[in-house]
This record gives sequence, structure tokens and C-alpha cells, in this order.
Amino acid sequence: MTQQNNTLAEIRPRFVVDTPPFMHRGCTVGGMMRDMLIALAPAAAAAIWHYGLPAVRVMALAAGVCVLTQALWEKLLGRSSRVFDGSALVTGLLLAFLLPAGAPWWLVATGAALTMLLGRELFGGLGCNPLCPPLVGWAALTVSWPVHMDPTAMNLGSSLIDPLIRMKYFGWTALPEGSELALALGGQLGGLGSTQVAALLLGGLFLLARKVVRWEIPAAFLAGVLALGSLFWLFGETMGVNPANCPPPHLYLLTGSTLFAAFFLATDHASSPVAIAGMFGYGLLAGCMTVLIRIFGIYPDGAPFAVLLAALTAPLLDLIRPQPFGGKRSQ
Amino acid sequence: MASMWKEFSKGLWAEIPPFRVVLGLCPTLAVTKNAENGLGMGLAVIFVLVLSNALISLVRKLIPKKVRIVCFIAIAATLVVAIELLMQAYTYPLYQQLGIFVPLIVVNCIILGRAEAFAAKNPVHLAIADGLGMGLGFTLSLTFLGALRELLGTGALFGRSVMWEGFKPFTIMVEAPGAFIALGGLLALMNCISIVSARRAGKEVPVNAGGGCGLGCCGTNQ
Repeated sequence: MTQQNNTLAEIRPRFVVDTPPFMHRGCTVGGMMRDMLIALAPAAAAAIWHYGLPAVRVMALAAGVCVLTQALWEKLLGRSSRVFDGSALVTGLLLAFLLPAGAPWWLVATGAALTMLLGRELFGGLGCNPLCPPLVGWAALTVSWPVHMDPTAMNLGSSLIDPLIRMKYFGWTALPEGSELALALGGQLGGLGSTQVAALLLGGLFLLARKVVRWEIPAAFLAGVLALGSLFWLFGETMGVNPANCPPPHLYLLTGSTLFAAFFLATDHASSPVAIAGMFGYGLLAGCMTVLIRIFGIYPDGAPFAVLLAALTAPLLDLIRPQPFGGKRSQ
Repeated sequence: MASMWKEFSKGLWAEIPPFRVVLGLCPTLAVTKNAENGLGMGLAVIFVLVLSNALISLVRKLIPKKVRIVCFIAIAATLVVAIELLMQAYTYPLYQQLGIFVPLIVVNCIILGRAEAFAAKNPVHLAIADGLGMGLGFTLSLTFLGALRELLGTGALFGRSVMWEGFKPFTIMVEAPGAFIALGGLLALMNCISIVSARRAGKEVPVNAGGGCGLGCCGTNQ
């Protein structure tokens, strides 16, 4: 056996035929996660400005438990540790952004552990997850403990309002007059970071500029929200929908986690389609579902569920792929 | 006797349904909201499986090969109607809980699978041992799955509260997604155990014992 290996090594050709990539641009997972952290920083700062120390507590706990879970899991399986690439830290922060600032510690810790295990590690770790990991943790928490996930119930001392609840039960005209600016600056109850609209827009544009995420998915998502939102706003009454439930389209963007979902959740690299046509379909589906769930669903904020649903269609959308150069379309 | 024991015991671990053979998943997912339902469903399946195995084995030489499936189903359906009436008479609350899944035992793949794969080819005593083992394995699995989901999802076992004061039940485990999470986790655990024990015994490690990753990401169907 050894002898054979030696012979093979001796006759190895000088020019090796290998698979691409042949050159490396120097991008690493760690670098990408650093960009993600920078993009999340404005929203984190805004969250601390609005909610104070409780927000810091939730973010630190979620990120810490995520990192710890990944480290323990890799230790248990005897895999080489990839904790230091920062992906667990970013995942934990994304989950924390979806939680109310007053969430009890066990809720945050359970959610973070579920996010890492159920959302990512059971499927093979970073890059193998079929759904966006923070959304898996968020969905499990929302279904299991709806009271502890309710931003109003968890921030009783706050003077802010939850615009989504108000729009759902009292109609969009019940929102205070001229509250758009306050909403954009994050003056609303909801997930602690996911409602910091202006700060998230800043972070999202940074991600686009650094090409960490492709522009197709957020653009299609927002186009879907605005298109279907306008449709219901203009023609909702003729279609038999209560006009109080059909707010003007810009309110969809300013309330809840729409922008957060568009820039940070829907663009999760592993669970979104890879081809351009698929990206547009995926974004449009998620955007339209957001509007539909907000108008007709039982959950006030439709965006996270919309992204989860769209991610389930991603393997199908990936079948729409470009023709290989010079190749023929197979029948 | 030894061969009877062999046929009986294979249903308890080596081929335990539904984890090893991954058959009969519909009742496994649907009725395991609590341990009691799992146990009740399992007992009903034992009844049907043992008797259908015995009957099919008895008449195996009389059944023409071309219409054997129809005959198997007719025998299973007769037994299921019997157990359904018995449950209505003696365990009505459980019957109401299990609902449509009692009549659906007719189309449970384990019943037809054992009939086709075992009872139609073996003498009566072996068929009964096989049915008893498989049924018992199915009951154990369903009770365990139900107990796990009930414990996490409501903090109780067989309806009695066992968790500490202030335990916040993990409700998703008794909802539909919880069934898939629990089943998937247990399947992964079973595969993990068999890989480790195969490695201990110095045998070849089964790769992907439960099939592919199901996502088409493994490069096999590109």
C-alpha cells in the first residue's frame, strides 16, 4: 500500500486539474460576520437608547448562549471549533432583535439554544440550514409562550405603543396623527431591535454597499410589500376587506419588523435561492405574505412568518436556474 | 422456541417500528400528544397485528397470489372494526381522543408490511411471535414519544403533573410541529446509537442510515 502511494506521488503531474475556485479574494466568514455586526450596530444602539439596560441584557444573553451552544455542540461531536468566526454571535444578535426587551431570561436562553441546535447545528452547521436560524428559534418561542413574547405585556412600564396591535384591532386611523417620524426612529413597541426602522435601513444599505447581501432579495421583498399593500389600500374596499385594516403602504415599512426581515432575515445566505430569478420570486412571495398575514392572519407582525414560508419554497425556486453557457435546455 | 424468541425480540430493538423501519408514521405523528394516547394506540395495533398475522399465516396457502393484498386488507379491516367496537364499548374516552386514527389502523403500513413480508411466508407460531414483538415495539415507541412530548409540552406524565413549580410548558411540543421535531430528534438519536455501537463492535459504520439529507444539497440529484 505504502509502495503504491509512493509511486503515485512520484508520477503526479506538474499541472493539476482541479475544481474552481482557483483564486481567493480574501473574503472570510469572519470578515462577513464583522460586516454584519457593523450593520447591526446602529439598530443595537437605538434599541439601547429606547429600552436601556434590559435591551443590553437580552442581546448579551442571546449572543452568549448561542456561542456557548455552538461550542458545546462541536465539542460533543468532536468537530473542529468554528466558534470564533462570529457567526453564532451574529445569529444570537439577530434573535435578540426579534425578542421584546423585557423577555425573561429563560425565554431568551431557550430561544438561543433552539436557534443554534434546531435551526443550524442539527442540519450540519453554518451554511446547511434550510431555514433562517433566528426565525426557527423565534417561531418556537412565539408558538410556545405567546404571552412572554408579547411586547406590550413584557414592557408594561413603557409609554410607547405597539402600532401593529393598534392597527389590527382599531384600524390604522387609530395611530396618532403624524407619528411617521417617531415610528421611523423606533418609537414603537415590538422586537427590541427589529423595530428600529431608520437604523436598520442604515445597516441594510451598508450591507448592500459591502455586497454582503445581494440587492435582489430586499428589493423584491419591499416591492412585494408596497405593491400588495397599495393594492389593498386602493381597492381593498371593493374587494370586500374592511378599509380600516388596509393601511397606506408606507405604514407596512414603518411598523414591525418588515425592514429587518427584508435586509437581515430574508437574505440569510443558506436558506435563500441562489439564482436571480429565484431571488426575485422569493422576495416577492415573502413581501406579499407579509401583507396578507398582517391583514388576514392572527399574528400582528407577518414578516417573520412570511420569510419562513418563503424559505420553504427556496429549494423549488432554485430549480429556476440559468442555462449553462453553450448548453441546451434539457427536456 | 429459540426461533420464536428471535422473531419476537427483533421487533423490540433491531427492527423496532416506527424508528427502524420508518413505517406507520401517520398515527405516530398524530396521536402521540400524550403518553396515554400513545399507549392506547399501541395496544390497539398489538391486537390487530397479532390476530391478522395469525389469521393470514393460517390461510396463507389458500390465498391466490394475485389477490393477496385484498385478502390481507379484508382481514385487517375485520379486526379493526372489532377493536373499534370494543373500544367504543369499554374505553370510550380514549376512543374519542384517538378519533379517526382507530379506523385508519387498516391502512397502517406496519400491518400490511408484516403480513406481506412475514406472515404470508411463515408458520403460525412464528407469525404470532413476530406480530407480538412488532406490536410491542410500536407500543413502546409511541408511549415513549407521547411521554416525551407530554412531559415537555405540558409538564405532565399520564396526566399527572411531574415538573417543578413554575415550569413553563414548552407548548410547541404538543402541537403538530412538535411531533416532527420529536420524531426527527429520536431518529437521529437512534442512528447515532447504532453508529457508535457499530464502531465499538468494529463493524463497518452505516453511512446515512436513514437515507439522504432530504434537501437535495448532497449533490446526488443535481
